[in-house]
Amino acid sequence: MATQQKASGTSWVRKMIVAGALSAVSIALFLTPFGYIPWFAGASLTVMHVPAIIGGVLEGPVVGGVIGAIFGITSLIKAATAPQGPIDVFFTNPLVSVIPRILVGIAGWLIATLLRGLNRQLGYLAAGAVGSLTNSVLVLGALVLLQAIPLQLAASVFVANSLVEAVAAAILTAGVVSAWKGIEHGRSRSRLADEA
Amino acid sequence: MKSLEFFRNISIGQYIDIASPMHALHPAAKFALLFCISILALTAPTFAGAGAALLVAVLCILLARLPLGMAARPLKSLLYVAVLTILLQFVFSWPGDQSLRVLSLGTSLHALSLTLYETGIVASIVIRAAAMMLTLGWFTSIITEQDAIRSIERFLRKALRDSTIAHQAALVSAMALRFVPIIAGELEDIVKAQASRGASFGSDTRNPIAKARAYLPLFVPVTIRALERAELLAEAMEARCYTGRGRTEQALSPIPKSQILLILGALLATAALWWVDLTLCKPWIRPY
Repeated sequence: MATQQKASGTSWVRKMIVAGALSAVSIALFLTPFGYIPWFAGASLTVMHVPAIIGGVLEGPVVGGVIGAIFGITSLIKAATAPQGPIDVFFTNPLVSVIPRILVGIAGWLIATLLRGLNRQLGYLAAGAVGSLTNSVLVLGALVLLQAIPLQLAASVFVANSLVEAVAAAILTAGVVSAWKGIEHGRSRSRLADEA
Repeated sequence: MKSLEFFRNISIGQYIDIASPMHALHPAAKFALLFCISILALTAPTFAGAGAALLVAVLCILLARLPLGMAARPLKSLLYVAVLTILLQFVFSWPGDQSLRVLSLGTSLHALSLTLYETGIVASIVIRAAAMMLTLGWFTSIITEQDAIRSIERFLRKALRDSTIAHQAALVSAMALRFVPIIAGELEDIVKAQASRGASFGSDTRNPIAKARAYLPLFVPVTIRALERAELLAEAMEARCYTGRGRTEQALSPIPKSQILLILGALLATAALWWVDLTLCKPWIRPY
């Protein structure tokens, strides 16, 4: 049975369970303070969408999209029922909170697949960065489209926050995916980087 | 260590168990109402249509006998947004906006003014968000997560005539819900373990790259452990030849005829309100 499944790729049961587990990671990060890396002046870098990118890179576009959708719906419900701040008000619209997140994992998968032949590590870094940028561009774009914020403000948020966020997402995606692949092939063990 | 105790208060839904006409509805009818009100709140051509959705949402909350204070709590954040967006609209201006100025600072600076068009935008944002907040608050208070997932599965199974996709959707959402408390518990364990080893999670540096790297000792083990758990579970299920087909399921009472009429009525009313908004209100309210 194992060989059968290897021939046809991973089974849908496996894919859906991985999607469920990674969705839970992003929901858990979202519901605890650890989904944000605090930066300066109250601005924070969000990393909650990174599991969607990881899912996309590891298991394909469907898994990435599903994780993004579940995370997006959770953030939609939370934004509406227990808003944390003013920006949550805009996340009550699925165009802002759900659709961009679905595309995050798909974008990550696309980039990782395109760069697979070139350099895997670079592919994972690029997938993380592009996935994160997809999120920022689409969320900010939706906010501009809904006339919630002017284009000038969206552009400055993009420069100030999203580019740094993309770097953070790239590092985390590459860290997790290479650690997981290392475990899978039994070549190297995962280790904690820069603990000091 | 009090700040690390976040495992206990984790919840997505907020089901409140009371007897009310809304709670008694069939899950399909609840979903239909949610769909109708959200569509109206989000896509109505003007804020008048969204206002109608807001009124219906308030009516639904009253019918569900939910505590009003709880239902209205999320609306508090709208106040900041109203102030913030008014300020933003005041500072920035829309190209080609020639509508009446409600408030302006000086006469030469067109930018520093609040026009009727901009007031409409603010009203639209606030009303739409308020309607969505009340509707989703109402919905998550009258349906349990399990019921919601089960009815989505049933709906997909009927709509797609292919039980695999329906079952996939149900499996993945059920897995996510089951995994959240486990992952949150692991997150807590790992945070405490790494903190006891002196991990700062980047609070001692300003450099964003260093911050992200400092997050690796938290992020990598949490994700890897989740993936390992998923692998283990998938292997166990595959070893037992799990395919999702031919499983028994909880029997759900069929939807009563009166509630089918309610669903049809809600759909018709939504379409009618949308149309009225487009043809009667839109010419009067120019933006949105």
